[in-house]
Amino acid sequence: MSGLAIDMTGISKAFGPVKALVDADLRVARGTIHGLVGQNGAGKSTIIKVLAGILKPDSGRITINGTRVESLTPASVERLGVHFIHQERLLVPTATVAEAVFLNYELRFGPFLRPGAMKRRAEELIRTHFGLELPGDTLVRDLTTAQQKIVQITRALAQEAKVLVLDEPTAALVKREVDSLFAVLRNLRAQGIAVIFISHYMQEIEDLCDEVTVMRNGTDVGVVRPGETSIDEIVSMMIARDVGEMFPRRSHALGAPVLRVEGLSQAGHFRNVSFEVRAGEVLGITGLLGSGVKELVECLFGLEQPDAGSVTIDGEVRRFANPGRAVQGRMALVPEDRRAHGVATDMSVRDNITIASLDRYMTRGFVSRARENEAVDGFIRELSIKTPHRDQLVRNLSGGNQQKVALAKWLSCQSRVYVLDEPTVAVDVGAKVEIYTLLNRLAAEGAAILFLSSDLLEIAGFCDRALVVYRGTLNGEFAGETLDSDLLLAAASGARAQRKEA
Amino acid sequence: MSLSLSRHLPKDRESFSTLAVLVAFVGLFLVFATQADAFLTLGNLRNVLVNNVVLLAIVALGVTFVVSSGGIDLSVGVSVDMASLVFVSALAAGVAAPLGLAAGLGAALLVGLLNAILIARLKISPFLATLGVLFIGQSVQRLATGGGQPIYLVTKDYAEIFNAISRSSLLGVPTPVWVLILCVLATWLALHRMGFGRQVQAIGARPGVAWYSGIRVPSRLTQVYILAAVLAGITGILLSATVRSYVPMSGNAFLLDAIGATFIGTTISRERRPSILGTLLGVALLAMVKNGLLLIGWNFYWQQVGIGVLVFAVLALSFGLQRRH
Repeated sequence: MSGLAIDMTGISKAFGPVKALVDADLRVARGTIHGLVGQNGAGKSTIIKVLAGILKPDSGRITINGTRVESLTPASVERLGVHFIHQERLLVPTATVAEAVFLNYELRFGPFLRPGAMKRRAEELIRTHFGLELPGDTLVRDLTTAQQKIVQITRALAQEAKVLVLDEPTAALVKREVDSLFAVLRNLRAQGIAVIFISHYMQEIEDLCDEVTVMRNGTDVGVVRPGETSIDEIVSMMIARDVGEMFPRRSHALGAPVLRVEGLSQAGHFRNVSFEVRAGEVLGITGLLGSGVKELVECLFGLEQPDAGSVTIDGEVRRFANPGRAVQGRMALVPEDRRAHGVATDMSVRDNITIASLDRYMTRGFVSRARENEAVDGFIRELSIKTPHRDQLVRNLSGGNQQKVALAKWLSCQSRVYVLDEPTVAVDVGAKVEIYTLLNRLAAEGAAILFLSSDLLEIAGFCDRALVVYRGTLNGEFAGETLDSDLLLAAASGARAQRKEA
Repeated sequence: MSLSLSRHLPKDRESFSTLAVLVAFVGLFLVFATQADAFLTLGNLRNVLVNNVVLLAIVALGVTFVVSSGGIDLSVGVSVDMASLVFVSALAAGVAAPLGLAAGLGAALLVGLLNAILIARLKISPFLATLGVLFIGQSVQRLATGGGQPIYLVTKDYAEIFNAISRSSLLGVPTPVWVLILCVLATWLALHRMGFGRQVQAIGARPGVAWYSGIRVPSRLTQVYILAAVLAGITGILLSATVRSYVPMSGNAFLLDAIGATFIGTTISRERRPSILGTLLGVALLAMVKNGLLLIGWNFYWQQVGIGVLVFAVLALSFGLQRRH
């Protein structure tokens, strides 16, 4: 018997004319953590869906733990000990932790469930694997994202998983949670479990994985060991060109202040926040979870109301009672939760792009399809949104292209102030650079950009200036020499305020 | 060149799904035409159109907006009844016809407003809110009519008014059909050609995205529920004029058919989205099946079975065709 937990060979899968997988291989040895990287659309999700029994491959051979499998269904895959922690598959919000852990594998006594036993067993599993005390009767909806991940992994462990597949497991986690997740995965590896780890975060891949399969254009272009291959080399393999400059430069001069925030406060969240963003400027803002920076952004866009202070746009004091007013005030928000707030995945590319600016496409009271289509085709070209046509449902686009649609919505409004909340989360490297380039062009055209990110390297690399929010107040402004991820991190964690050194 | 090919794909897919409803429609039409002599007569078709299609279609047009917005309205029957009750009572009390008509529509509007307050302001789920209004509406009717007594206005005094509404015609087309044509035109423009409709569909597709895009979700929802109620009210007026009376709870007959027609209609769109054309097809299908089965000689209870089977068949056919494509 081979030492391979998963052996997928020559897998091909086409959707109509689109070849999603072309003769792709994925081999994962027992007791290793195997990274799977590639740009969106490279075929990562497709090969994982094939393994999960969700998609049927057109050709190819799959062997799981030495057993050749002919046709897979989601249920049969689980019986073979392969478990998936999907990025979006959510738990039932009204279930308890114990119910979620034993969903579909309930402990029984004859025909009767054993709730007490399931609660004890769930708590015990979580304690031994995660060193965490999580009462088994807690409702899933009361858990943090990290705890929900833990519950999902615990469910797999309760079924004695042999292979664990994690799709972007760290996307919504803070650093400390990521560290403890990694400790758990290393522990599982020591127990002989194979882990397939999909992530856009190269640093995580390097820290965690023993081997990495790099995918591009529907096939595997190499298997590398992170110890022997640098991140840059891996990224080059992914995009088949040199990464070049990750953060494209801006050279335009800054104009007059566009957005001015003075003494803005909201009880319990932030107080006395003042700053300004000039035309053409990209101002970074960051803060840890609970710092109040999210609420600050919500107040700017009219989703929440501040208790005190003022917001001025182009010299005019504005108070937005709701997002509708903010949009009229030519403010744009690209929200963090793209699927809930950014794009309507069941609507077309066109409908998503024009939804906030329909009045721009009106002729005699009716929406002019012709003008709309012309504008939308323009945005698709300009932003190189990869979609077969404007009527495509946004659901069928990759993460990066969905984010471009979310941005195009505000370009269509000709917004003046862009507030971006984690715009590059779950966006692949290539699309990230495209988004940066696009923001640079907006800035060059005189827009003011407030860029909220928890990726401090991104803040340091991309922004002109950066603010750090710590426990509801600004804790330092950084520019030039001081705009450095270590200093940002120190300020975000509460180190004494820094002075700007221009 | 592959680009131009794929550009035509969605239209094909839509027409494939539309095909399911059309195939069912034409197939059943042929069956009824050959099996029931009375089916394919001008008199019968005209009767189905004026008495069944028009009344149901106008209610279903309103439901189409509600379903587009991601909601449901279980109280459209109440709107039908309230319009009818107020209209007939006003005539009985000697109020001038135009005023009575306005009062009837106003009563329906109030039902919609109540729904809107519950759903858009108090954030109660549309199902529960309109279910509550359905219960209240039925009780109000019983209280107002001494436990559910119909109000008949069969004397000559009222015949002129009622005939003017339900029996007159213009250019050879019955007035109720004109009313339907106007309603279809207005709702088609509103849903498919105006910003209003697009925003309503965005709310239905993802309310969070709509809100974050600056759409005033509460006021749009308010308009949607009022529109649905007023359209149902128009049916209430036409119904009163046709039967020359107010019969308590008669609006309920439209509720499930209107919802059913709307959902049958969603099968013709690629995104399974409600549309005016789809709803009309759904209404036509339901009305034809009911009439056809009646003429073939099925009794009322078997008609319901027939409609159930029809709904399954349309859905299965539509999904099957779409998957194969």
